[in-house]
Amino acid sequence: MSKKSASVWTSIRFWRRSAAWVTGTATVLLIWLTFDTMGQISMGSDADLAKGIKHRIPAATVINYHVDYQFDQKRGHEVPVIGEKEKFFGKEWSAKDAAALLHHGKLTSQAKNCMNCHTLLGNGGYYAPDLTKAWLDAKWNDGTMTGITGKNTKEEAMAEFLMHPSQYPTHARMMPDLGITQDEAVALVAFLKHMSAIDTNGFPRNFSQSAKRLEGGTHAH
Amino acid sequence: MLINGELKYESQKLGMNYFRVALVLFGAQLLMGLIAAIQFLYPGFLFEIFDFSVSRMVHINALVVWMLYAMIGSVYYMIPDETGEETVGIGLGKLAFWILTAAVAVVVLVYIFIQVGPGNESTIWFINEGREYLEAPRWADIGIVAVVLVFYYNVFATYMKGRRTGIMTVMVANLFALAGLYLTGMFFTDNISVDQYWWWWVIHLWVEATWEVFVGTLAAYALVKIIGAKREIVEMWLWIEVLMLFGSGILGLGHHYFWIGTPEYWWEIGALFSSLEPVPLVAMFVHVLYDWGKEQGHCESKGSAHALNNSPAMAWVTANAFGNFLGAGIWGFFHTLPQVNIYTHGTQFTAAHGHLAFFGAYATILIAMMYIGVQGSYGIKKMTMTFKTKMALTLIIFGVLGMGVALTIAGYEQVLVERADLGGGWDAYFIAQDLPWYIQAQGWRLAMGVVTFVGFIYLAWDLLTIGAVESAQEESEGAAAAAAA
Amino acid sequence: MESAIYMPQIAADQFLGIFIVATMVLIFGVGYAASITLSKMGFIAKKWQLFGYAFWILQVYTLYDLGMRIHSSPFTTKVLAVAMLAYLFAPHLYFYLIDEAEKRYETSEDGQ
Repeated sequence: MSKKSASVWTSIRFWRRSAAWVTGTATVLLIWLTFDTMGQISMGSDADLAKGIKHRIPAATVINYHVDYQFDQKRGHEVPVIGEKEKFFGKEWSAKDAAALLHHGKLTSQAKNCMNCHTLLGNGGYYAPDLTKAWLDAKWNDGTMTGITGKNTKEEAMAEFLMHPSQYPTHARMMPDLGITQDEAVALVAFLKHMSAIDTNGFPRNFSQSAKRLEGGTHAH
Repeated sequence: MLINGELKYESQKLGMNYFRVALVLFGAQLLMGLIAAIQFLYPGFLFEIFDFSVSRMVHINALVVWMLYAMIGSVYYMIPDETGEETVGIGLGKLAFWILTAAVAVVVLVYIFIQVGPGNESTIWFINEGREYLEAPRWADIGIVAVVLVFYYNVFATYMKGRRTGIMTVMVANLFALAGLYLTGMFFTDNISVDQYWWWWVIHLWVEATWEVFVGTLAAYALVKIIGAKREIVEMWLWIEVLMLFGSGILGLGHHYFWIGTPEYWWEIGALFSSLEPVPLVAMFVHVLYDWGKEQGHCESKGSAHALNNSPAMAWVTANAFGNFLGAGIWGFFHTLPQVNIYTHGTQFTAAHGHLAFFGAYATILIAMMYIGVQGSYGIKKMTMTFKTKMALTLIIFGVLGMGVALTIAGYEQVLVERADLGGGWDAYFIAQDLPWYIQAQGWRLAMGVVTFVGFIYLAWDLLTIGAVESAQEESEGAAAAAAA
Repeated sequence: MESAIYMPQIAADQFLGIFIVATMVLIFGVGYAASITLSKMGFIAKKWQLFGYAFWILQVYTLYDLGMRIHSSPFTTKVLAVAMLAYLFAPHLYFYLIDEAEKRYETSEDGQ
């Protein structure tokens, strides 16, 4: 060990120090990026929503607005577009009520373990459809599910389905009854609508064209 | 695995206890996986009794917990070897083991029998947190933190008291990061993007950074222990591996931030650093094989036939070197670039990668540590493979590879039909699930799962019996040699 | 949220090619590292090192091909080129380290 002429490249001390420096640098960079990202993904405010100022994650009151998903030429992928005001379960929600509703919905999504069958923002189980843009899914908009559940609006149909999923089977693989109450179902729908308004950099890709493409059928048989 | 009479240190006996529980949980993980695989093919199976969400939750939780048990067991086992000391707070350590095991049992029973709760805080505290991999309810989170603090105190205090080898230095520093990261996954937020941002801190910085370094440390320990590699060289390489693993893995976190609401700059950061992630895996692979080849050469020139004193463990270490590169490296690189990942994200591709990587990178080396434990427990000088060892190796590797390939085919079909062609959504999802390619792939996955499970039975059986068999053989050989002399 | 990055469309029939090429990149990479390693360890003759360099060239080509197929940005393409040059030197640095480390530490034989 005490050889004077030994190369620095074989020095354990050299590599230990290099490892510490590289790890430290990477950690500092990550923390710095985390601060930047946290700023960009904190929830926007109700006032900004009203003024049309975009946030990657809008305020809970986004449930009072029409949400769409459209192709953006400049960014080269689809982005959520917040439109005119629309009623959610027949009323406009105050900032406080909307926030409480979203809180309840997020809690319920965890309590009912949605993530171990579905994916949320693409993460979770792969046993059931992705819920990232579920609010915008053609299935709820083309009359299919409102017809089956006998409800007038999309949100009511969603809530009804969540409360009694196995009564409205659309596939051999069904969603089980998780004992979701009326309040929880409404909150979950708010959670889903809010999630659909998150700017996910274009994930899932081509989602807005899904209905059109389905008409053509798949040619992958 | 049944007795540990030959172990001199209480710490190693405690390590063996952790290995025993780990083996039981490993079995539970595979059983739950089989139920989930059946549900993919026959959705009516246990519907509204033991739904997929439950079987999968227990499947992945048992996975994480058995690996943590085997990791804690490995550390308790190597502490006396490395430091030359008995673990400082061994009494406390034993108590923590029983508390942790009782807590795990309660959590699993609640998962299985209560399953879900009402949508309020009480569920988060007492039933489950509903966040994939980190489902453990909050009371258990806090309990885990307490137990880990005891464990970390034991490791740190013993390290400070005894010999401070490079291997132990890496271990102590890495365990600090590993334990600390768990804290970032314990809070609740209404903002799903913030939620997933921190969730990945735990998941990614565990499995693609700190766990990988842990594996590097175990491999270094195993190389010194099994083939008598030169400690200075092994430790020098360990530091280089730490440099490369943390250098690529920490910012490689970016590849989870492509689509969860986080800014676009993560595309470039994630793509660049996660493309570098296979590099240390290649280095570890070459290093293990080179050292083995070199020591084998030394032994042959000295006239002794075999450099290994524990060939079952070395076989699993070698499987680790291959598996880590294949599962984490190749299957990871497959879908890590954002241009591709936007189509593969949230498909069975991820499941294929998960199966191959968790097995290749972690299960293999932890099984090797169990064999090292058995060798020590029975005081065997040179442990060789039995028929059961070989069956376990062959069937488990074949089974997991088969599952990986089947799931890759399923994922590929999903990418083409559900994503690229139809653009995702409810109907697109089920159209893709119903195509023959997908169903057949799921069928093969189940078949390969059964193969893996049979392999596991051989493995458990071997771990339970190999000690007695090999030590009896060594004794009779010793007696024969003495008689001949 | 101004961004110059453009996410390209990938048609369904292009994926198989992408996955195969991505695999080839890694396989050729391992082939390069493996032939250099094995010949340095003396398991195969020195001349096989030449095949190693052939693997490296193939790897560079497949990586370039992959970059084209997924329409990566000019910046990324440049980074990849630098990475490939670094990879050419990596095994040599690696074995330089092994040789030097052995000279330094193996002198105290049977220390363990």
